[in-house]
Amino acid sequence: MISIIKFMKNLLLIFFILLLPYQDSFSQEEVNIYTSRHYDSDIKIYEEFENRTGIKVNYITGKGNALFERIKSEGKNCPADIFITVDAGNLWKVEKEGYFQKIKSDKIAKLLDKRFIGPDAKWIGIAKRFRVIVYNSDKFDKNKMQNISYEDLASNDFKNKIAIRSSSNIYNQSLIASLIYHNGESKTKEWLKGFVSNFSRKPQGNDRAQVMAVAYGEADLAIVNHYYLGIMLSGKSGEKQKNAAEKVSVAFPNTSNRGVHVNISGAGILKNSKNYNNALKYIEFLLEKDIQKHIVLNTYEYPIIDKVEPSPVIKGLGSKYKEDKLKVKELGINNPKAVRLMDVAGWK
Amino acid sequence: MRNFFSLSPIFIVAIIFSLPAIFIFLSLAQDFSSNWVHLVDTVLPEYLLNSLKLFIGVSIGVFILGVSTAWIISTCEFRGKKFFSWALILPFAIPPYIMSYAFTGLFDSYGTANDLARFIFQLDPETVLFPSVRNITGAIIVFSFTLYPYVFLISQTSFLNQSRDIFDVSRTLGLSRFKTFFKVALPIARPSIVAALMLVAMEVLSDFGAVEHFAIPTFTSGIFRTWFGLNDLTTAKQLASILFMIFLFLILIEKYSRRKILYTSNSTSNRELVPTPLKGYKEFFAIIICSLPIFIGFFIPFLQLIYWTIFYETSFFSSGFISLITNSLSLAAISSIICLSIATIINYIIRIEKNNFLSFINKIITSGYGIPGIVLALGVLNFFLILDNISNIILTGSLIGLIFAYCVKFYAVTNSSISSGFKKISINLDNVASSLGSPNRRILKSIHLPLLKSSFLIGTLVFMIEVIKELPATLILRPFNFNTLSVSAYNYASDERMIEAAAPSIGIVIACLIPIIILIKLIGKDEIE
Repeated sequence: MISIIKFMKNLLLIFFILLLPYQDSFSQEEVNIYTSRHYDSDIKIYEEFENRTGIKVNYITGKGNALFERIKSEGKNCPADIFITVDAGNLWKVEKEGYFQKIKSDKIAKLLDKRFIGPDAKWIGIAKRFRVIVYNSDKFDKNKMQNISYEDLASNDFKNKIAIRSSSNIYNQSLIASLIYHNGESKTKEWLKGFVSNFSRKPQGNDRAQVMAVAYGEADLAIVNHYYLGIMLSGKSGEKQKNAAEKVSVAFPNTSNRGVHVNISGAGILKNSKNYNNALKYIEFLLEKDIQKHIVLNTYEYPIIDKVEPSPVIKGLGSKYKEDKLKVKELGINNPKAVRLMDVAGWK
Repeated sequence: MRNFFSLSPIFIVAIIFSLPAIFIFLSLAQDFSSNWVHLVDTVLPEYLLNSLKLFIGVSIGVFILGVSTAWIISTCEFRGKKFFSWALILPFAIPPYIMSYAFTGLFDSYGTANDLARFIFQLDPETVLFPSVRNITGAIIVFSFTLYPYVFLISQTSFLNQSRDIFDVSRTLGLSRFKTFFKVALPIARPSIVAALMLVAMEVLSDFGAVEHFAIPTFTSGIFRTWFGLNDLTTAKQLASILFMIFLFLILIEKYSRRKILYTSNSTSNRELVPTPLKGYKEFFAIIICSLPIFIGFFIPFLQLIYWTIFYETSFFSSGFISLITNSLSLAAISSIICLSIATIINYIIRIEKNNFLSFINKIITSGYGIPGIVLALGVLNFFLILDNISNIILTGSLIGLIFAYCVKFYAVTNSSISSGFKKISINLDNVASSLGSPNRRILKSIHLPLLKSSFLIGTLVFMIEVIKELPATLILRPFNFNTLSVSAYNYASDERMIEAAAPSIGIVIACLIPIIILIKLIGKDEIE
């Protein structure tokens, strides 16, 4: 027994030493990032920034909401300079509670569409994603589908045909929030009733699983974020997913009216940032042409600046679309209403 | 005065450990928002019903799997017994959320199992042989097969420590082996088994990953939805408080149900059980019963993970991988040793004070296990913020916060093995030693600690595995640039990039195997048999 205690003491010592390097070092120029984007390709961006500027990037990944709670709890001790998240609703929430400060950059103001700059330049978009429709082209007329709207999906024509993931998912919540903004609460409530009754199965899996469902005949139509199709088509997730994504057709809804639902990944500088200048440099860096190119080629998002083309795979999905021009902060404002309506409609 | 000093550790620990929970409880003092009406009218009844179904289903599942295998291993002799005695712990190395990913990867209509079946039997591509697992039954299977090792480990220890005399008496009085099990062995093991079931129940009810993947709205997923979707942290905390109170209630019932019964061994001889050799079809059945949980709970998901990694460039298994394993193991080892020391001191005090109130306080500390990881993390953040302001040292976002969270969350698992270890040491031993003039400290050092050896090892093992698997609190509390295996697995799995998530998931399994192997070596031959 004594030997076990000794053994454990030694073990404790060794492991403490192993963990030492993770305690903060204060010597170097640095920028600290909390991010809910957890793509390997983002790590390359950190490295590239370090190479070009000599500023060390420290980061933590996590769920956007949880990271924001950490920011709030840490208060003025918060070590983070930048908060990056994948939903406009989250950005809006941070801004509303006063945790962002102004991003003072003429460069950004010139570069970005005003839609993607938050009020008082408190945050900006860094990449776009569309929520598109995938469908089985044997079951629907292609020309008709090119003119489809989200609003049509409540009609009887789609009875038992639609696959979509759970209403707990933020992409769905944002989509419904946009419908509430455009059509009002009571109309959306009515629409949801019809829409939910058209589901072909209990909501399950993520967006990828919906594409698979359409490819394998469990549903005729699904709503998914476009970049999942990019990843699947790229073959990075195996042959099976590639084949499935090739099998389905894509439609950009509401092309004949307001345009497809757009959401963003975005970033802001935190109020208690201790490295404001480095943070600003980093955010400007994200909008550099080659970095935008790196993002769109790896995550299959749409670029936030006009001068960069989407990845070829994504261009292949189609170019005849319009973007919903609503201010993305509306998605945040209407999010709780969206969740309540989805609960009422029985969307699991 | 003596009393005060000897009791103070338990109160200090109790207060510190319950602070995160208290921060969550404070929400009950705040106004109840209109979201409550909405929740009660729409989704809350379903959340409760689903949680209840899971609770009952999984309890039955782990009871059958854990107790039957433990009984066979402890009382029978058959081929492969030595292998089974440690292999039955293997499913523990697979977190329920990873298992649920593996299961859908296998049994979805386009999953590996269906593909394989279609290929073997030359069926057309529309045929779906296996039923969908994305439902409550699927979730019950996943939880049962990943969590039964709790029950297995604890009831095995309990069976092994029952005196052979008791069984001999029971058999002499004419009870069959079967009846001996139900009338003697099981009732004696009851407190340990119930404690294990409590752990399982808390783990299931506070799980988020697996139920989310199976699209089962439970009480805990409701907490998240209220927090993230309705943007209402207060209501989410209030819901978490209610869940917490349900656990306290369960603890009370358990405590009440065995009042006035003293479960310590008074036998002086404590001759060890002699396992009965099994022959013929009986041996065959024993092997089948012991293989099934390992097969479903470990090999099937593990093979699926391996199958996925084959698709992936093996670049993942590089230097980064090693550092992930070291991080996970270091954290697990450090926090398990800290927590183990705390649990030993507390249980020792309870033993010498023989105070019911103290043991009740101790039970309360264990309920940290039932707080969903992310909610707990929030409580820890609030607590450390106050510490930061008082001490001027910034602890938030350091490993200390993380280790603290692990201790609060997993104190229950350490405590259950240490306290059942103490229980099986006869009080007479203490009495004899102290009547011979040994001071308490010496009794602890020369009598208790040596006898607690296997409890220590099991406590360490289970705690370390829990830490390696833990996700939500790690994700939110870890310092900059610090990744663990579970974080890495989550980063991919949350996107259902299972092919990429498979490599770190295998890493989790490997990292969990390391303590298992060390412990098997340390426990030594005699303890296993």
